[in-house]
Amino acid sequence: MTLVWLLAALAAAPVLVFPLTSALGRRAGWPLAIGFLALAAAMIPSGREVLDGGEITQTVAWLPALDINLALRLDGLGLVFVMIALVIGAAVFLYSVEYLGESRQLGFYLWMAAFALGMVGLVLADDLILLFACWEITSLASFLLIARSGSGAESASARTLFMTFVGGLTLLIAVVLMIVTTGTTSMSQSLTSDVWTDRPGFTAVVAVLVAVAGFTKAAQFPFHPWLPDAMAAATPVSAYLHAAAVVKAGIYLLLRFSEAFSDVPVWNTLLISVGLFTAAMAALFAFQQHDLKRLMAYSTVSQLGLITAAIGVGTEKALTAAVIHTIAHALFKSGLFMMVGVIDHSAGTRDIRRLPELRRIMPWSFATVILGTAGMAGIPPLLGFVSKEMILGSMLEAPGPAWAGMLALAAAGAGSVLTFAYSAKIVLGAFVDGKRELKDCHGPSARLFLPAAAPIWVGLPLGLTVGVFNTPVERAVQAMGSSAAYPLKLWHGLAPELLVTAAAIAAGAALMTRRRALYRLVENDFLPGTGADALERIFHEARRLGRTISKSVAADHPRRHVVPPLIVLTLLLGVGSLAVLTAGDDVPATQPDLWRPVDVGLLVLIALGVVGTCRADSRIAATVSLGATGIAVTVQLFALGAPDVGLTQLMVEVLTVLVIMMVLRRLPGRFGHSHLRRPGGPLVLAGGLGIGAGVATWLLTGRREKSVPADYYLAEGTKVTGGDNLVNVILVEFRALDTLGELAVLGLAGVAIVAVLATVPSRTLDPPRRTHRPSLRPVQALRDPQARAALTDPQSNLRALQLLLRVVVPVLLVLSAVIFWRGHNAPGGGFIAALVASAAVALVYLSRPDDRAVGPPRVHIALIGGGVLTALATGLIGYADSSFLQPLYGTVAGTKLSTSLLFDVGVYAAVLGVVMVAFDRLGAAPEHDPDAESAAEAPLGRTKEGIV
Amino acid sequence: MTVLPISIGILVAGGVYLLCQPGMVRIVFGITLLSHGANLVLLASGVSAWRGEPLTGTGDPADAADPLPMAFVLTAIVITLAVTIFMLALAMIGHDDDTLHMPDTGEDHRA
Repeated sequence: MTLVWLLAALAAAPVLVFPLTSALGRRAGWPLAIGFLALAAAMIPSGREVLDGGEITQTVAWLPALDINLALRLDGLGLVFVMIALVIGAAVFLYSVEYLGESRQLGFYLWMAAFALGMVGLVLADDLILLFACWEITSLASFLLIARSGSGAESASARTLFMTFVGGLTLLIAVVLMIVTTGTTSMSQSLTSDVWTDRPGFTAVVAVLVAVAGFTKAAQFPFHPWLPDAMAAATPVSAYLHAAAVVKAGIYLLLRFSEAFSDVPVWNTLLISVGLFTAAMAALFAFQQHDLKRLMAYSTVSQLGLITAAIGVGTEKALTAAVIHTIAHALFKSGLFMMVGVIDHSAGTRDIRRLPELRRIMPWSFATVILGTAGMAGIPPLLGFVSKEMILGSMLEAPGPAWAGMLALAAAGAGSVLTFAYSAKIVLGAFVDGKRELKDCHGPSARLFLPAAAPIWVGLPLGLTVGVFNTPVERAVQAMGSSAAYPLKLWHGLAPELLVTAAAIAAGAALMTRRRALYRLVENDFLPGTGADALERIFHEARRLGRTISKSVAADHPRRHVVPPLIVLTLLLGVGSLAVLTAGDDVPATQPDLWRPVDVGLLVLIALGVVGTCRADSRIAATVSLGATGIAVTVQLFALGAPDVGLTQLMVEVLTVLVIMMVLRRLPGRFGHSHLRRPGGPLVLAGGLGIGAGVATWLLTGRREKSVPADYYLAEGTKVTGGDNLVNVILVEFRALDTLGELAVLGLAGVAIVAVLATVPSRTLDPPRRTHRPSLRPVQALRDPQARAALTDPQSNLRALQLLLRVVVPVLLVLSAVIFWRGHNAPGGGFIAALVASAAVALVYLSRPDDRAVGPPRVHIALIGGGVLTALATGLIGYADSSFLQPLYGTVAGTKLSTSLLFDVGVYAAVLGVVMVAFDRLGAAPEHDPDAESAAEAPLGRTKEGIV
Repeated sequence: MTVLPISIGILVAGGVYLLCQPGMVRIVFGITLLSHGANLVLLASGVSAWRGEPLTGTGDPADAADPLPMAFVLTAIVITLAVTIFMLALAMIGHDDDTLHMPDTGEDHRA
């Protein structure tokens, strides 16, 4: 099976999880487990090739322009990790079926499958960018798997994410430095580059960055607190991620990069010291725990510390030990995690203090946990003994003076004493000690027990026949650039490491005979706080700092956000214009005929409208002035020879005024109170920016010949597209991507209105102030009974309009269709046509006596979504020819058609949808408000006499 | 001398003045005036000396206006419509549109 197919199959798994969990519920674990085993089996031929000394590479172009490829490589090291990920993954999936609750468990299987993809991608990646991407996938999936475990896991998952992202960042920096310096994104080329020997300073920096990244994932001090935190996740998650996979991603990274860094002193020192310190510290912490799962978490941290230290030593023996211990640990630890779940299921707790003598009802579980912990404590003849003894032995090979090796061995030995102690604590605490009655406990079902026990039991024969690992481990070590591996044997003779192991077992056993006193001694917290507390304090301080900084710029009132940019803009325009003016004769002369007499008349109208809008105290008056200004601007657009723009502006103007009127019904009639006490500042700013804008426009426009694009469109536009209306063909063909972006903005505004108004019901806001009720009603007229009837009875009031509609609406719809159709060749197109149809919607709305929405509910959202999707789909059709949004042409019944017409349909639907949102949501009746009705003395509140 | 820049200046000045007022509706009006001004700036960049409609086969191509700024402006107008409607929806929340007074929504604004 090729590597790409392996990844494709793993990528299909998260997609298949949806139908699988939907059909099978939690039993989706069975097909997933079978799939993973099948993939592992399918990889056997490739694996055999690798074991024969080969290397499988496969490259698929991904971003060729950036020289980033989906470069995959399977070598000895990758093979070990791929097999761990697939086989342990299958066991955990089988176990999950029984362990998880009887529900769909979509999130669990989805993120577990996504994680497996990231993990396998990580160990197969031969491209540094791909490596980083997969690294982050594992981080995110790990976070999501913890976060989905309920509210208690929220802060724990956030801390995990934070710590693993610290490592992600350092890895990113390291990867970028490597790519820039070695000039290639290929990991295999980069790692064998001469840079590492030529530039020791640079090498040290990258080595530290990679080491930190590895430490965060492999939970090494000071990043270890995330792993105990992650125990909030379900037990199968811990069995897979926190024993076999995500933490091993950190180990993989360190192993992979040891090819380049194994001779770098800072790498050796950092890994050995941090690894051994972590090993000893976490072993002590593990011994402190009484929650079996947290105990397992700390023990994992401790074991990973040993592996890290061995990688730091970097000799053939040490790397061999690291690889074999990675395998051994993945087996016994994932099994032990699952056994903790078995205990939890059987006794309802995993707290040692509350567990009865479970050995009486669960002999097989007892034996299995003994075997697993014996492997962890390094007791012969298990696989864990072989690997651990090799790690101890390799400590003596630590670079530096001879005492360094002795010190490292002593430290590792001290850790081993505690390892034996906490391993014994697991067995004794869970199965031997305990006062609780056994009556409400029950043995596990076989389907829960077997997948949990399997990884542990295989450690026994594998320890006796450890020679089978010789070739795979040798290939793995060769992949790290070492010439030969160290032969694996169960019996190494009377080496120092054997003596240390024996001493550790003896000391640990001696300690455990006095265990009750010892527990009392250590189970009290002897540190002022945990790592999680420290991290929370960092978060807290960071938030406080952020609030302090944001306070200096935050304001509820928009003016504070608006004014500074406006001042900057004024200065830019002023200083820029002055600079251009004083630069002398570089400014070209203006074109002749820049203005026509009609412009002067429009200038006067615009000026009157603007002054009216600004000075009006009544909202209605301001709206009228605004509308007048808009019409004057529209005429100006026509006068500039832009009929499409003018038509659009005209329709928008009408609709804007209608929407404003709907909103004004609910607002006080006058701006009144909202007038500024000191208008000086805004006046100065307005004057400054107005003059600046005017001068800059005069100075910077109208001083050149027609632009090159203008000439192109005028000369070629019709030839290329077949449309005569150049503005329309630019919108839907030449620059359709702009229009698509605009549709997105438009649609989002519509969706946002629906969302905002749905989430902020006005009853939760301040009660209204009576003095500011709407006063849109002509109070004088109400004294005349006839006028009162006309205004208060919406039915009779609207009759004329309703009659008119029967004629007008069909006309408008036909007009809309005609305008749409002719858009390519004459002023019109999707925008204008949709706005004409919107006018019909507006009329229908206005003609109703009550504030009902036009059309079925949510039709507007469907129109917006359908419109944007239609436009997107049209864009995809373009790939049939060359690129996104490339229009295709064809001739149907003698008429030349383009797919851009379809695009225009999308435009039409989205625009119509947004206008309908406005009428539906802003025009709907105000919420029932008894206070307002009593104030209005008559039930006028729901009619729209203010509008008509 | 030319006229269009003066119209633009007036529209921008009015828009900025309204933008600085408290009260969402006036701010919306300010945005509307500003966008009128901005649209005219865009069209002015196409040089207002040529004012023929950019329709192939209509009038003298030498006199046709630049169609590209028009396409920009058309897009801008529709976006302005969407933004205006959205801001008006915001103005409608609560019982008046005063932006200086923060209504009590029952939520904690201190985060």
